[in-house]
Amino acid sequence: MNYLRLLEMTSLKKMSSLFKSLLIVYFFFPLSYSQQIDFQSPQNIKLFANFLFCEKDYLRAVEEYQKYLQLIDDDSVQFKVAIGYSLMNDQTNALSKFGLIKKTSVFYDASKIQKLKSQFLINIDSIFYQSADLLINSNSIYSNNAYKLKNTSLLFFDKNLRSKENFLIPFGDDEKNKLSVFYNLKNNPPYKSETLAGIFSAIIPGSGKIYTENYGDGITAFLLTGLFTYLAYTNFEHDHPTRAWIFTALGSGFYAGNVYGSIASAQIFNAKVNFDFNEGVKLFLQEQNYFTPSYDFCK
Amino acid sequence: MIFVSKKIFLLFIFFIANGFAQISLQQQFDYSNNLFNQEKYFDAITELKRLQFFDTENIYSFKSNLLIGKSYKAGAKFDEAVKYFTLAEINARSDDELFNSKVLNARTNILRRTTKQSERILNDLMDDPKFLSKQNEIKYWCGWNYIFNDDWDKAYEIFNQNNLDTTLANLCKSVDDEMYSEKFAKYSSYIVPGFGQFYTGEYLSGALSLSWNVLFGYLTINSFIEDRVFDGIMVGNFLWLRFYSGNTQNAEKFAIQKNLQISNKALQYLQFNFAGERP
Repeated sequence: MNYLRLLEMTSLKKMSSLFKSLLIVYFFFPLSYSQQIDFQSPQNIKLFANFLFCEKDYLRAVEEYQKYLQLIDDDSVQFKVAIGYSLMNDQTNALSKFGLIKKTSVFYDASKIQKLKSQFLINIDSIFYQSADLLINSNSIYSNNAYKLKNTSLLFFDKNLRSKENFLIPFGDDEKNKLSVFYNLKNNPPYKSETLAGIFSAIIPGSGKIYTENYGDGITAFLLTGLFTYLAYTNFEHDHPTRAWIFTALGSGFYAGNVYGSIASAQIFNAKVNFDFNEGVKLFLQEQNYFTPSYDFCK
Repeated sequence: MIFVSKKIFLLFIFFIANGFAQISLQQQFDYSNNLFNQEKYFDAITELKRLQFFDTENIYSFKSNLLIGKSYKAGAKFDEAVKYFTLAEINARSDDELFNSKVLNARTNILRRTTKQSERILNDLMDDPKFLSKQNEIKYWCGWNYIFNDDWDKAYEIFNQNNLDTTLANLCKSVDDEMYSEKFAKYSSYIVPGFGQFYTGEYLSGALSLSWNVLFGYLTINSFIEDRVFDGIMVGNFLWLRFYSGNTQNAEKFAIQKNLQISNKALQYLQFNFAGERP
């Protein structure tokens, strides 16, 4: 009897263990399947795209984000796609992607100013100014940013600028200092007159180059023209016509070259003034991120 | 007994779980490799980067970095290729893997003409006793390094050693024989103005150079004979010396240009007609 009871208890224990084992199987087996990585699941695509974005591999990140957007509607990802294009300097695509951000999205206002930046970088034309004016007159938190970008863009054109006070209205104190310098340079560029440079060099060889701040060339032109003129004169005087004509040719060549060179030097000087000014404004805009907010998606 | 079974069972579940993850990583690697073989390098790189992102235990670090490097190399993005070959070197788990990644790194450096860097990598491999059996392969790439460094003479010596590669040895020899000596072109023009130009086959330029130097040399000497010392110094300095130094520079420039043409022609031949392994 005792033996039978013992057997019964052992069987019950075994049954209980078996039941526990089955429970473990029930919970763990699906878990084991879940360990198989689904590379193309929306979450994993997004995770991978975020990784690529932070690695600054924007081209691949954008491709992955777009794959994700085919599965899930996500305005933050849509915004990142547009930012990705903008960071790759593909402003045409950036513009169209910023345009897809819906009015209901929290990124709508930000997309407007980013769109303006893209338009600015594509071409500063009437469409840019229309968009800028729309944004300036809207209730957007970025309307002043648009105002700043619009006013700075005016520095790239030869048109007369509005009064300094009006021009500087949207800017803060630090920006005002820099833009005030740009404004003055734009209105009174330190150009050199090509005509004056030519006349100076025609009267005193080399002086035109000195006027255009090309001191080394100016002194050389003065000495060489003077030297060859003297040599030509003294050879004619002492009846050595061959050498005299050679020095005359050399002296004339240096004289003509010095006049032409002075005019060219003034043109180069003015081109450099323009180049330095434009580069300065571009650098200022880059430092200011074109008055758009900067985002750190990789914190 | 039941307790022991449970332990075994849990271990079994654990290994199965890991096994599935590894299978999917393996599948991902195979997929990437397939893209690489189809010459879809951009996609291959994307998929390999995806593999690296999910390969948290770095099981495929070496393989993926090596294949990314190869893809960038095939797309002529040599800077990126070098970066990934270096990462493959860091993740190499055997001597063979280390050797492969280093050789690929050196080959990429040869292609992007950073020959000093490839020379350093190849010399390191040469000095490493682990790779004594691979000396011929290392020397082969050293030869190519000399070719891309325009050192055809040294390349010939390497390829000719123990008949390493007779085709390349003969080619290097013929290119080296065809090359003009830049120093000879320059210094011969110091002795006879225009000679360097004649040597490089630029006869008109050589004749003009000789004529100008004769004319201004005569005028300079004539000035001194007529006791017009200042005239002589001026003509000598501004005309004769100018044309004399110009003539030597010109001769050297012609030799450099001709050598570049010969070298480029040889490299073009190697690119399109050489059947052996190239960097």
